[in-house]
Formats: sequence, structure tokens, C-alpha cells
Amino acid sequence: MKSKLKFICIAIIAVIAAFTFTGCKKELTLKEPGNLVPKTVTEDPALPAISVNGTKLHSETFGNPDSPMVVVLHGGPGTDYRSMLNCKGLADDGYFVVFYDQRGCGLSQRHDKNTYSLQLMLDDLTAVISRYRKSPVQQIFLLGQSWGAMLATAYVNAYPAAIRGVVLAEPGGFTWQETKDYISRTRKLSPFTEDTNDQFYFDQVLTGNKNDHTVLDYKMAIAAAFDSREGNALGNAGAYPFWRFGAVTQAALFEIANRDGFNWTTHLGQFTTKILFCYSELNKAYGPEHAGLVSSAYPNVQLERINGSGHEIPYFGWNNFHPLVKNYLDSFK
Amino acid sequence: MKNIISILIVLSVLMIPYTSQAQQINWRTFKDNKTHMVNVNMGWEYGMIAGIGYGQKLKTTLPVVLNMEYSSPFGKQLFDDFKIKLGGQAEVLKINNFSASAKAYGIFRRYENDLVRLLNFGSEFSTNVGYYKTKWYVAGEFGFDKAIVTHIKNTEVMKNNYPGIQDGWYIPTGGNFFYGIISGYSFKSNDVYIKVGKSSTQDFTTAPTMPFYLQVGFNRRF
Repeated sequence: MKSKLKFICIAIIAVIAAFTFTGCKKELTLKEPGNLVPKTVTEDPALPAISVNGTKLHSETFGNPDSPMVVVLHGGPGTDYRSMLNCKGLADDGYFVVFYDQRGCGLSQRHDKNTYSLQLMLDDLTAVISRYRKSPVQQIFLLGQSWGAMLATAYVNAYPAAIRGVVLAEPGGFTWQETKDYISRTRKLSPFTEDTNDQFYFDQVLTGNKNDHTVLDYKMAIAAAFDSREGNALGNAGAYPFWRFGAVTQAALFEIANRDGFNWTTHLGQFTTKILFCYSELNKAYGPEHAGLVSSAYPNVQLERINGSGHEIPYFGWNNFHPLVKNYLDSFK
Repeated sequence: MKNIISILIVLSVLMIPYTSQAQQINWRTFKDNKTHMVNVNMGWEYGMIAGIGYGQKLKTTLPVVLNMEYSSPFGKQLFDDFKIKLGGQAEVLKINNFSASAKAYGIFRRYENDLVRLLNFGSEFSTNVGYYKTKWYVAGEFGFDKAIVTHIKNTEVMKNNYPGIQDGWYIPTGGNFFYGIISGYSFKSNDVYIKVGKSSTQDFTTAPTMPFYLQVGFNRRF
């Protein structure tokens, strides 16, 4: 027995020595840019970008810059505009379509968690509009999906006169309570299911501190499988494309909402222009009841259901969404 | 890297005949006439898990138990996620009914979902300090679980999203501290125990999504 024990001890020492001295030169590191998540605009100068409001945002435009501007706002918070690129079809309809990955998201520059505020996200949007606007009379429309639709509403609530019209696709809510209620319906988990261990089990293998962006972004991407798995509550038909999830952005904004709450309906009564509010047929957590509740904060609403789509309406429901958006925007000509 | 993995695999195989029970031991009841122990357990540890273990107490002056444990989270696919722990624990200090034990384990873990498969080799070092009687015990636990090296293999969904993504061995990939309390009750040749605690990442600035663990277990000595 003693000789066997001695052998085990020697073997353990051998393993530790192997780890220590072989150097593992061919191994990869989680934090190296480009290994697990794409490089951002600060790491790859070839990416299309604009520098505004103290940050560098990944941004693209389509269409005639003098045409009415449609600013596309992606969801999350923390995802990117890749799944919304169908909206560039609006350029063929005569609109100037502006995409940007929000601060810390997608291919845009990363920032530390403690630098975020909701006002900063609104200021970024103001800066993007100013960067691309050709004249004071150029009409500005916001088209937002999920969190992007919430951000659009926060903007309208803060600056009702600045925006000509709004297209909203399934905003979670315009108050923190509405949003929490919706999120809780999308995240129902039974502890004994595969979904649950898919969400949590990798936490023991991959860890990062609060500013280890690459690790946290990759972990968020892994967890995103939840939103596209078979039978997902959001009704998504499968995976949808993304560049990089901004985990720090998401964590920062959720922390702020949890701490401070929000209510972006206080001045919506001043925005009497008709808005287009869309919800999806297949999102089991949303439905006409929640759509009616959330949209009622606006005084003038065109409420539409997008058949055949789940939550990611601009990606999975574009064929039914596009005619409604085009007709809505054209009504301002 | 292949050499390291070979050594780990060989070591794991070599250790199996000597390994002993699972997690929690009442040192006052683990006598030399019954040196084997089997364990079943269930609880929350990065998922709702169930585990089994086997252990053997060595005939040494210093009380030493070698352990092997397998655990897996619930779900449709039972073998896509699991953890195997091989190692041992020793009672390093005993003053009257007070006792301190040290544990060291090698770990192999697997995780898979629709986007990625992770294979991880890690280690766990922990200590229990507590009050042990023949019928019951209560102890505090503090430990560190290090994910030393992980092979990441991304699925086509991830590669379609980002063709530049790199599959391969990543080192290191993380670590979590854990701390909690354990209590057990012993009767005849059996123990039942419960432990509960919290976990935190290695720099204490973030926590796992569900930063706690809970385990109830049953040991049978023979």
C-alpha cells in the first residue's frame, strides 16, 4: 500500500511539474482579441466606424444621405445590429438607413462598467444623429427592436420634438416593472431541465472579472443559445446572427435599472404623432395583452401583429414587417 | 499539451483502485473495520446535479481517504455535461472533538450546448474545520476550484457567426472560491449530511450566475 501511495504522490508531482515546465506555448488565451469574439473597431481599423461622444462606434449607412433618416436601434441591451441588417432594404424605399452598434456592443469600443448611464446611451444616439444629419429639416425616424425599442421610447420621452416617427418591435416595457414582468416570462426555468444546466454549468469553467470583456462576451454568447433553442419562449425559429454580445454593457444597464428603476412614459403624451408598434405572433411571453399594455403609453398607436415571427422580428419576420414599416414611413412624405 | 493530458489520463486510471468516498466524512465514525464508503448526493452546483461516489480509507497513521466522484446535471442529455473528481482528503489536525481536514482533487469536466463543447481539466483544494462527534458534526468549508486548461470546440453556428473563432486548448480559463457550512448526522453505518454555501470568482469582483451551492448526501460505510 505504501509503495502505491508513493507512486501516486510521484505522479501528482509529475503532473504539476509538467504543467509548470512545459510552458504550453501553443495554448490560446481567452483574453487575446480575436480568439473567441471578433475584434472591435479599436482593435481592427478596417472596420467602418465613427467617433462620437467620447467613444468609437461601429457604424454603417445605406441610401441617400439627404433622404429621411431611419436610425436602427438593436436589442439587448448588449447585442448588435447584425440581425437587423434586413432593414437596409429601406434604403431602396428611399430612406437613409443608419446602423450603429451601441456603446460597448458588437464591434463598437468597449468601456468599463462603471462608466455607463442611461443618459449616456441617449447622448450617444443624439451624437449619431448629429454626425449623419445633413440639414435641420431632414426627418429623423427611430426603428428599434426589443431593448432598441425601449431606447427609442426613452429618447422620444426625453426629446419629443426631435423625432418625426417611431417604429417599435416588441419593447420589453417602458417602465422597469413592465420590463421585469416580461423578462420573468421569457426566463422561466425548471431546475431539472437541459436549459438550466446549459445556462449555468459552464460558470465553473469560464470565469472573468468585471472588466474581462472578452471572457464575459464569450460567456454571454454561449448563454444566448437559450433564446434560439427548440421551443424557446421567444418564438425564435432558430439562431440569429450576431457579431459580439457586450456583456459589460448589459450588466451595467441592468444594474442601473435595478438600482434606479425607470419610467419613460412621463412625457410620451406630448408625442401625438402616430407610432408603429409591432409584436410577434410566436413570442409566448409577449402577446396582444402585453403589447396593448406597453403601447398604451403612446397617445396614437398603430398596433400590428407580425405573423410567422418570434421576438427577433427584423430577422425572422422581415417579409411581413417590411411592408408595414414602408407604409408607415411613406405616410410622412 | 498531449503529454499533459496523457499524464492526467494515466493518473486518473491509476488512482481509481485507491479512491474512496465522496465529499463529506465524519472522521469519528469512519473506523478501520469498515474502510469502504459509497455516497449518493443531490443538490445545486452550477446546475441541479446528482452524484455518486466511492471511497476507501487507507491504513495510515494520518487518517486519509481517497475519493472518486461522478456528478451530472439533470436534463434530456445526461452525458453531455458531467464532472469527475479524483483525489483525497486527510484529517490533518485533531484536538479533542475539533478537527481540520484538507482535500485535494483533480477534476475533469465536460459541458456542451448548441454553440460550444468544453472539456476542462482542473483542480480543487479545500479545507474543512469543525466539531465532530460520533453521532453528528458541523464544520465550515473554504476552497478554491481552478479551471486549469480547457479545450473549446465551437459548433458551426458559432463558426458561421464568426469564422475567425479559434478552437483549441485555452489556459487558464478561470477559478471560483467557495465557502459554506456542512452538517451531518451518523447512525449505524450511515451518514446523512447537508452543505450550503456561496461561490465567487477568483478575484471576488464577480460571481457565477447562481452563486450558491447546496448538497444533501448519504454515505454508507462497509
